[in-house]
Amino acid sequence: MDWPYIFQTAISALSFGSFYALGALGIGLLFSVLRLINFAHGDFITIGGYALIVPSSAVVATLSIGGFHPALLAICIIVLVTVVALLSYFVVFQHVQNSSPATMMIVSFALGYVLQNVIVMIYEGRPKAVNLFPELTGPIQIADGVSVPLLQLVIIAVTWLLLIALVLFFRRTAAGVQMRAAAEDFRMARMLGVRGKRLIALAFILSGSLAGIMSLLFVTQKGVLMYNMGLSIMLFFFIATVIGGMGSLIGAVVGGYAVGIASVVLSAVLPEDVRPFRDACVFLIVIIILLWRPQGLVLTKAARERV
Amino acid sequence: MLLSVENITVHYSRLPALREVSVSVDEGEIVCIVGPNGAGKSTTLLSISGVLNPTSGDITFDGKRINGMSPEAVARAGISQVPEGRHVFTTLNVEENLRIGTSMRDDRGEIEKDFKRVLEIFPVLAERRRQAAGKLSGGEQQMLVIARALLTSPRIMTIDEPSLGLAPNLVDRVYETLLDLRNDRGMTLLIVEQSSERALKAADRMYVLRSGQMQLEGNAADLQDGEKVRQAYFGFEEGVAHEGEVAF
Repeated sequence: MDWPYIFQTAISALSFGSFYALGALGIGLLFSVLRLINFAHGDFITIGGYALIVPSSAVVATLSIGGFHPALLAICIIVLVTVVALLSYFVVFQHVQNSSPATMMIVSFALGYVLQNVIVMIYEGRPKAVNLFPELTGPIQIADGVSVPLLQLVIIAVTWLLLIALVLFFRRTAAGVQMRAAAEDFRMARMLGVRGKRLIALAFILSGSLAGIMSLLFVTQKGVLMYNMGLSIMLFFFIATVIGGMGSLIGAVVGGYAVGIASVVLSAVLPEDVRPFRDACVFLIVIIILLWRPQGLVLTKAARERV
Repeated sequence: MLLSVENITVHYSRLPALREVSVSVDEGEIVCIVGPNGAGKSTTLLSISGVLNPTSGDITFDGKRINGMSPEAVARAGISQVPEGRHVFTTLNVEENLRIGTSMRDDRGEIEKDFKRVLEIFPVLAERRRQAAGKLSGGEQQMLVIARALLTSPRIMTIDEPSLGLAPNLVDRVYETLLDLRNDRGMTLLIVEQSSERALKAADRMYVLRSGQMQLEGNAADLQDGEKVRQAYFGFEEGVAHEGEVAF
């Protein structure tokens, strides 16, 4: 192993970790105020991807929003996915928000499958190639003989900016403090006059905006659209929130980085023959972590309630 | 009457927890509801606050019907509850906890004045302003939740077992504070208490609730010998408490 290789692996691990951390945050935000584990979160990301192209069953995708000026494109996708997330609250989740977390989770599964099938109905189930932000997909030279994909640096930078923005929101704004209070004791917050519905809607807006940003990053990275692409990454986000500690946003970030870094490092160090089973190894580590700390890495009130 | 609860019946799933219970509180009064465990005292307060919905009966506040309103709407109407078990936001610091109390208000200048006033009443909270509320002692947490409820600028405060889990000298302090609030600021208080002696000392009027039904109501002055209260509290067999008849 040489230094450039280690450096490249580290950047790659950080970028995977960042992506998973953003996903886990999207789940964690809703779980913290609503005790909802939203399995449709991944499908929100998928929708953001499909919104880039003209609805048709053609194999070669024609760009719609994807053809806009990059800034406008990004805003359109983020707003659109946010609206989808918000609609999911008002149309679906609002009506089950007093049910048990298990019921809400199953409802979110159902919603996810409905969304996937709607996509299949409109766009057909075949993968579609999309070339989003091609200027980001190339490598960038950092030092002599060391180059990393520019997109990985972008993902890390975007994630850290979002994390800083979220920390400021939760520490400095009234709505942010209210959201932390509601995450701990929703009923008490309402008894002090905090408007519950508005706060949940805000959580969906935040979670949806994160999903929209992830749509852009994910499609740029993959270069291909698939109706079930959200579900596969959703599994990792979910695992990240669980090992981080359900209900803790710091935990979600920690868990996201843990899963992302573990995946990349395992790909780098596992023997060639075992490499195809990398995900199995990641899950094995997850099981070991949970045996050691069933409540997750960061302990929260929500986790304590369940024990 | 500022607050009047008329013949409310409340069910948990299908079991009745309260049967035709009535309570009224006049402006500036201290009213106590006493009763054994599981009598339905907390249920009464939670119904007033809109957390539970009575299946029948009416709750009116300042002439307006409030049953069926959401907890936040009730709080915004001017009823602030300090629920059982304190419920501080442990991960928020003391100041943030207090700020949540002001989240429904937009009178900036008044909020800052109230903030100062509350910190004068509870100097210990001023000292611990930046500390996580979960790190406070039980007594300090009780002060914090009362201060937080005060900052909603309520017309009536309902307090569920302010003495729960506190050392006796701290309980005295909490009650002193509550009495001061009424005497100095004209605050109206509806207090749920397990100890009838404590209630007899503090209240203007009191109610005795047992097994989800109102057993007795009267002026504290008329009940001072305690015999009637004891009978109502324990049922007619002296000293035998029907604890937990209605499970919470």
